[in-house]
Amino acid sequence: MKILVTGSNGFLGSAVVKRLLEGGERGIRCLVRPGSNRRKLDVLDAEYPGGIEFLTGTLNKPADCEGAIDGVDLVYHLAAAMGGAPAEMFAGTAVATKNLLEAMAASDRTIKLVHCSSFAVYGVAQLGRRGMVDENTPIEPRPDKRDLYSHTKYVQEDLVWQYHRKSGIPMVILRPGVIYGPGGPPMSARVGLNLFGIFLHLGRKNALPLTYVDNCADALVCAAENCRFEGEVYNVVDDDLIGARAFLDRYRKSVKKIPYVSVPYLATHLMSLAVEKYHTYSNGQLPAIFTRYKSASIWKGNRFDNSRLKSIGWRPRVSTEEGLRRHFEHLKSEATQ
Amino acid sequence: MSSELKVVLVGCGQIADGHVSEIQKLDNAALLAVCDLEPVMAEQLAVRYAVPHHYTDYQKMLAEQKPDVVHICTPPGSHLPLVKGAVDAGCHVYVEKPLALDYRESTELVDYVQKAGRKLTIGHNSQFEPPIMELRDLVARGVLGDCIHIESYYGYNMGGNFGKAILGSPDHWVHRLPGKLFQNNINHMLNKITELLPDERPEIRAMAWKHGGPAGFGDVRDDLGDELRVVIRGKDVSAYGTFSSHVKPVAQFARYYGTESIIHLDFVSRTVAVDRGATLPSAIGRLAAGFDQSLRLAGSAARNAARFLRSDYHFFAGLAHLIRAFYDSILHDAALPVAPRDILRIAWIMDEIFAQIHGATS
Repeated sequence: MKILVTGSNGFLGSAVVKRLLEGGERGIRCLVRPGSNRRKLDVLDAEYPGGIEFLTGTLNKPADCEGAIDGVDLVYHLAAAMGGAPAEMFAGTAVATKNLLEAMAASDRTIKLVHCSSFAVYGVAQLGRRGMVDENTPIEPRPDKRDLYSHTKYVQEDLVWQYHRKSGIPMVILRPGVIYGPGGPPMSARVGLNLFGIFLHLGRKNALPLTYVDNCADALVCAAENCRFEGEVYNVVDDDLIGARAFLDRYRKSVKKIPYVSVPYLATHLMSLAVEKYHTYSNGQLPAIFTRYKSASIWKGNRFDNSRLKSIGWRPRVSTEEGLRRHFEHLKSEATQ
Repeated sequence: MSSELKVVLVGCGQIADGHVSEIQKLDNAALLAVCDLEPVMAEQLAVRYAVPHHYTDYQKMLAEQKPDVVHICTPPGSHLPLVKGAVDAGCHVYVEKPLALDYRESTELVDYVQKAGRKLTIGHNSQFEPPIMELRDLVARGVLGDCIHIESYYGYNMGGNFGKAILGSPDHWVHRLPGKLFQNNINHMLNKITELLPDERPEIRAMAWKHGGPAGFGDVRDDLGDELRVVIRGKDVSAYGTFSSHVKPVAQFARYYGTESIIHLDFVSRTVAVDRGATLPSAIGRLAAGFDQSLRLAGSAARNAARFLRSDYHFFAGLAHLIRAFYDSILHDAALPVAPRDILRIAWIMDEIFAQIHGATS
C-alpha cells in the first residue's frame, strides 16, 4: 500500500511517519515544501533506509497535489498552518486541503483519507461547565467567533466532509486534543497566557485534553487500520488526564519557576467582557484577545471521552505520567542549552 | 451620487483585512462584497467580517453589486486589467501598492482612469500616518525653513507575517516582481522623500545586495536582495533612502533637514521632535539642548497618550485616513489624497532604482 503523509516534517507528522516505519511500511511518500527544514525526516530516513520517498511540493499548488497522490492508496493529511496572518492561515490550511481533495476526487484511483482535525471544531462554548466532549458534541456554530486556528480547522474539516459526500472520498476523521511531547509547544493556552510578561493562569482545575504525540500518531494509524472509511470520527485524548493547575505546577517544578497570577473563570469572563466592550468602544484600538465566547470555549472547562477510539483497539502506549516526564525533561534540556 | 458609497473589494489576501476593517468603520460607505479567484479565501473574509456577499467572478460582482468604489488588493501583475474592468463599470478605484509592474504600466493605468473621469488612489497609507500629518503642519508654519536634505529609513521585518510568507514559498508573487522585495515596500521609504523633494526626474544612485538570512532553498529565495541604499539629488533637495531587513530593532523614521530646524519623525513610536539647535552658549547650551530634545519627545509621546485615550491611536491610522480622504474626494469632488503625479514619480524612481540594481542580488 502506497502512503502519502502531508505535514510530514511537522511535530505530529514526523511521529506518524516514525510509527509507520516502525510498523514496517516503506517508501512512505512525504510531501515537504521547497526549502523547508526536513531534519526530523532525514533522521528517520537514515534509520530506515528506503523508508521515505521525499517529494518536494506544496499543497497550495494543484499540480503538486496531483503529483503527490499519484499512485497513492492512503493519505494521512496532517498539514495545517499553525500561525501567521489570517489569509496565510486559511491558505495554508483550508485552500491547501481543498487542493488535495480536488486532486483525490479527480483521481481514477480510490484513495482513502485519514484526516487530522482538532478538538477546536467542537462548539464547546455552548456546553455547561465540566460538560462532556465526545464525538456527539455539536460542531462549532460560530467558528468566526473563535480564534483563527479553530476557524481554519473548522473550514478544513468542513471541506473534508463536503468532498466525502459529493465525491465519495473514503475518509476517517481524528480530532486530537492538546498534542504534547518533546519538540512540541511547551504549554497549551488552555493552561494560561503570557500577557505583557505576566502569566495568567486561566485553566486552573480544568482537565487538559492531552494526547502524547506518539499516542496520537498511534491513533491515526489505528484508525486507518481498523475503520471502514465511511466518515467515522474519533476524538483523541489519553487516559489519566491532569488539570491545568497540575500541568503548571509540574512545569514550574521541572522547567522554570515562572511567576503567575491565577484567575478564576468568573474573573476571566468579566475581563473578557471588559475587553470586548473596550474593543467596541475604541473601534478596535486594541485587539479583542479575550472575548466571552473565546474564554468559554477555552477556559470554562470540560470533560473528555476517548471510549470510541478505544473501541477500535487504540490504547495509549505512553502513560500521561511518562509523557509529561519526557515533555518537561525536553523543555528543561532546551532551557539549559 | 448618494451620500453612502457602495464599495467592493477584490483580492482576499493579507492586506484585505486592513481594508475591510477600516471601510466598515466609516459611516459614508458600505462594503457590499469581496471577491477572490479562490472561493475559500473569498468566503473566509466575508464570514469573518460579516460582508453580505462574496464572489469568485469579478465581472459578476461588478455587474450585480454596481459599486461606486473598488478596492484592488490583488498582486500587482493583475492591477491593470482589474482597474480597467472597474473603470469600465463606472467605478472609482483604490489600488494597493505597488500600482503596477513598472512605470509604463503605471502610466497606462493612471491615464485609463483619468480619461474615464474616474478617481484613483494608491495604497500609500504611510503618507498619512500621524507623524507625516504633523510634519506637513510644521512645514506650513515655516518651522523647517527650506528643506535641504531628507533621510528616510525603512526597516523591514522578514520575521513578520508577510516576510515569512515571502520566504515560505518560491511561488510567492513578490518573487516575480521586477524589484522583488524592494518593489513591494520601498514606496514607504520613497514617499517620505517625495513629500518634500518636488523634482520630476531627480538624479538617482542605488545599490542593493543580499546581506544574509535564510539561504539554501535552492530557488529564487536564495537571491532575494534585502538591503538597499539610495541617494537622490534634486535641484534644491537631496535625500538618502535606506531599506534594511537586518537591522534590529525594526525601525522606521525620517529626518528632514531645513534651514531653520531638523525635524525627526519616528513612525514606530509615532513621535515628532524638532531640533532647533542650542540656544544658550557653551556647555550650558549643550546641556540645555539635551533636555530640550527630551522634553519635546516626551511632549510628543504625551500627545500620543492623549490620542490613545480618545481612541485615536489605531494601527491602521494611515490607511484609515487615506480611505476616508479618498471617499471624501469622490463624495465632495475634493482633491485626491495622493496626486497622480506623485504616484507616477514614485513609479519612475522605482524603475530607475531597479534598473541600477538589476543583477545585484543574483
